[in-house]
Amino acid sequence: MIAFTGRTGRFLILVLLLGTSGAMALGNGLAAAAQDGVDDLRPIEEVQWNAQRAAHLFERAGFGATPRDIERSLAAGARATVARLVRAQSETDSGAVAFEPSGIPDAGIDPFPEGRPQATDAAQARGEAIGVQIKPAGNRRAQPVVDKFFFWLRASALECNRIGYWWANRMLNTERPLVEKMALFWHGHFATHEDKVRDHRKMLQQVELLQRQGLGNFRELMIAVAQDPAMLAFLDAGVNVKGAPNENFAREILEMFTMGVGQYGERDIREAARAFTGWNYQGTRFHFDTNKHDNDLKTVFGREARFDGVQMIDHILAQPATADYIAGRIYRFFVREELSPATARRLGAVLRDNRYDMAPLLETIFLSRDFYSAPSVGTRIKGPVELLVSTYRRLGLASVPGLPDFNETTRALGQHLLHPPTVAGWAQGRAWITPGLLIERGNFVRDLMFPDFMAVSNDRYPLITVGAEVRFVHERISRGLDVTAATRPEGAASASEGMSMANRMVDREEDFNTRYGSYRGWQKAVEMIKPIPRTLARVDLSAMVLAGNAQTTADAVELLAQHFFNVPPGRAERTAWTAFLTQELGTERIERAQTYMEDGLRLVLHLMLSSPDYQLG
Amino acid sequence: MNDFHTQIGRGPLPQPLRRALLAAGLALPFAAPRSALAATAAGAAADRRILVVFEMSGGNDGLNTVVPYADDTYYRLRPNIGIRPERLRKLDDRHALNPGMAGFERLFKDGRLAIVHGCGYDQPSFSHFASMAYWHTAAPNSGEETGWVGRLADVLRPGGDAGTVINVAASQSLAVRSRQQVPVVFDDPERFVRQSRFETRALIERVQPPPSDGNPARRYLHEVAASARDASQRVRDACARYRTPIDYGLLPLDLQKVAALIDADLPARVYYVGYRNNAFDTHVHQVDLHQRLLTYTSDAISGFLRDMERIGRADDVVLMAFSEFGRRPSENANLGTDHGTAGPMFIAGKPVRGGHYGEPVNLGRRAADDNLQHTTDFRRVYATLTDSWLGVKSEGAVLRGRFEPFPVF
Repeated sequence: MIAFTGRTGRFLILVLLLGTSGAMALGNGLAAAAQDGVDDLRPIEEVQWNAQRAAHLFERAGFGATPRDIERSLAAGARATVARLVRAQSETDSGAVAFEPSGIPDAGIDPFPEGRPQATDAAQARGEAIGVQIKPAGNRRAQPVVDKFFFWLRASALECNRIGYWWANRMLNTERPLVEKMALFWHGHFATHEDKVRDHRKMLQQVELLQRQGLGNFRELMIAVAQDPAMLAFLDAGVNVKGAPNENFAREILEMFTMGVGQYGERDIREAARAFTGWNYQGTRFHFDTNKHDNDLKTVFGREARFDGVQMIDHILAQPATADYIAGRIYRFFVREELSPATARRLGAVLRDNRYDMAPLLETIFLSRDFYSAPSVGTRIKGPVELLVSTYRRLGLASVPGLPDFNETTRALGQHLLHPPTVAGWAQGRAWITPGLLIERGNFVRDLMFPDFMAVSNDRYPLITVGAEVRFVHERISRGLDVTAATRPEGAASASEGMSMANRMVDREEDFNTRYGSYRGWQKAVEMIKPIPRTLARVDLSAMVLAGNAQTTADAVELLAQHFFNVPPGRAERTAWTAFLTQELGTERIERAQTYMEDGLRLVLHLMLSSPDYQLG
Repeated sequence: MNDFHTQIGRGPLPQPLRRALLAAGLALPFAAPRSALAATAAGAAADRRILVVFEMSGGNDGLNTVVPYADDTYYRLRPNIGIRPERLRKLDDRHALNPGMAGFERLFKDGRLAIVHGCGYDQPSFSHFASMAYWHTAAPNSGEETGWVGRLADVLRPGGDAGTVINVAASQSLAVRSRQQVPVVFDDPERFVRQSRFETRALIERVQPPPSDGNPARRYLHEVAASARDASQRVRDACARYRTPIDYGLLPLDLQKVAALIDADLPARVYYVGYRNNAFDTHVHQVDLHQRLLTYTSDAISGFLRDMERIGRADDVVLMAFSEFGRRPSENANLGTDHGTAGPMFIAGKPVRGGHYGEPVNLGRRAADDNLQHTTDFRRVYATLTDSWLGVKSEGAVLRGRFEPFPVF
């Protein structure tokens, strides 16, 4: 007898709810029923509410439906289900566990120097930097400062990978999926990158802010983000001072966060920048420096006033283009990329009329006939984080596996959390897919079904570009070589003629050794950071197939397709997969194969989830 | 000069003779050795010509790259970050290269580096994304959806063969987006292969035509899957086989991958790579950082061109480097520079007639917002590469207007 519990057991319910043929009509059935709902923002009728539409809603507003989600939403009806998603603040959430920090010491770290040269310059000028004194005598007097500088960079990067795991686990287990989905949306909208912020504390604070306020009021969120230390650090806001305004911060607020390109002039940016002068952070807190604030008149969008930063945000939000832009961004993320100008304006009006409260807008979108119309269903290419989390949810996993590594996999697929590529965040849709990235998506499934259990994870073993250098130095230092010998570059050529400029420059310093500092920093960081448990996914496809009462290999393939796909895969593919499974199992009969079929099922699931159609949500 | 045609879609095709030669030489299977037919035909050499586009993202500070050290205004505008004459790599009595650019200095002295001054466009945007999109589409202040390299590929291979353009990147550049072609886009060649156990090997690469259900995202996914299947094995084999004794510096910036693919004779005509992640966006404390960025860039590019020499392809390969804008001539209060307008572009390689092209920017004549006025429409450089190097008339489909090439070739 095969025992099954938890989510695997609920899988049976989903199959019963959807019916054996019903689910495969998911895409096509909806297409026929709601073809003319395009651009229609009126709510659907309760009688139209069914399992397919609920599955679509949870796919978009969360990370895929569990059977329990479907069951509850059918009992509750469309309006109550959407209200529950959108007004999630009142829900309790057993999945919303807090992050457990590694406890990285941060004494003396603030303000963190711009780069290594600034750290060592400061140390040489003052005898101290980032909380470390230079040695009074001896060789490499400033070395401890360099070591600490690199330690902090490395420790922060490693801790950010732990934050990524923590967030992914919340997405997986949450009872309030839209809270996490919306936070993910805002993370792309208000993109900040750890490589520039270089501070896990600030990055964590920002994610928590997006989780806490992402479904609330956009004005409050915008102000909170503009005063968020990670954002202030990312956009160099700290150097925006009276008399020498730095436009970066104001430019991104206007272009990326509120209005979009083309809605303002260069002069508006220069003037708006002055309103934000004096906005800075100290450590992990917002700090307003009155002395550096420009309190003179500024003219923005034709209005002259002594705007401060918050008044400037209010002035920006009062522009008609702003609500349209924000509503359009939200719609494109949750529904589809084509949005008619008229619909954008109507959605913008919903946001404006509700004083930028987001719940009414989201309710309008998720109940609209447009949201359930054919062009909106099964036409969205899932982002990498959604792909991984929704795959894990459908496999019934209780936690995100340690292997394949969540951060490495999503990074390879183009969406490393806390590392969006630019201030524009991630381009959605087709930008997720290239030939290389489509292959990576299939390879992820392989790594999940047949994990590389011997892998040494890169939080231990330095793999990135400078990693080779760290390994090389480690090996030589461990053999007892002196610092100069251990850090001499492993040159491709020995003569200076063939040697690149970059390789010739290293080792010129005498007060410290950068390569050694980088190496010691890594070593110390690995010591301090709590390890990510390298658990493998405990997958039980056999139990799923048996619970779904599949009799034949064709039934099994059909069942897996229903369970995992949002768009039914083509007939030719299904026929090929069934033939493959039959060959692997040596029989068509599931009952005959049930004691050994797990590997065959994993092979066929690898084939299935590698297909183009699996990328649609 | 900006004589835009309003026509949409495919422009004039190449001359009939050229087209026939292209068909003869390039209708061959992807990795087949070059046929004797193509090798003997006149013009076959042109078919072997390759363009490598190198993008310096973030807005490279042109004034600290090619430094007008004889101009006092430069030092007046940049009292702290201006690079003193004694540190510079002097090219002549007007211009010098950043101290980090030993590789470029050698290329210039060997007559293999063309510096095109003052490149920009009218009504400049100071947004990275908008301005980069203008350079990608070669259509400033418009909503153009395809990239200039993509349109170039459509003219080079009107059939829409996969593999005319190879883009080494984490995600596809707008510059290579085309109406007809799916460019080969990959990042790590070792991962550009479907991992599979032996049982699934035969099925994993199979791509079915998409069901005609009117789902455009679905059709797109199936097309990309077919492109992936066709290109992945060849790219991976080429990169795995490749060994080079040439030093590309600390960051090869994907140019070693390009060298491997050229060495393996892949039929790509344009490679698109770059220094990624807005690296050149040097708002704060820029001097050391900017020099380092230029060192990596200059090392990698000069290493790549030496490597072309080594594999006997130096006569066939030209590299062009650009950035989405220059930076403001005046330094800011944070020892950095803010987004600006005009900047230099570079064309490098053995076929290049080295030297200065275009009018150097006039530091004394700045716009009201303190920015430089560009002297060269950047599309003249694109036209130089398409018309004079690749032999494709750019006026129609590619650049949608006539731009005068420079006599670089």
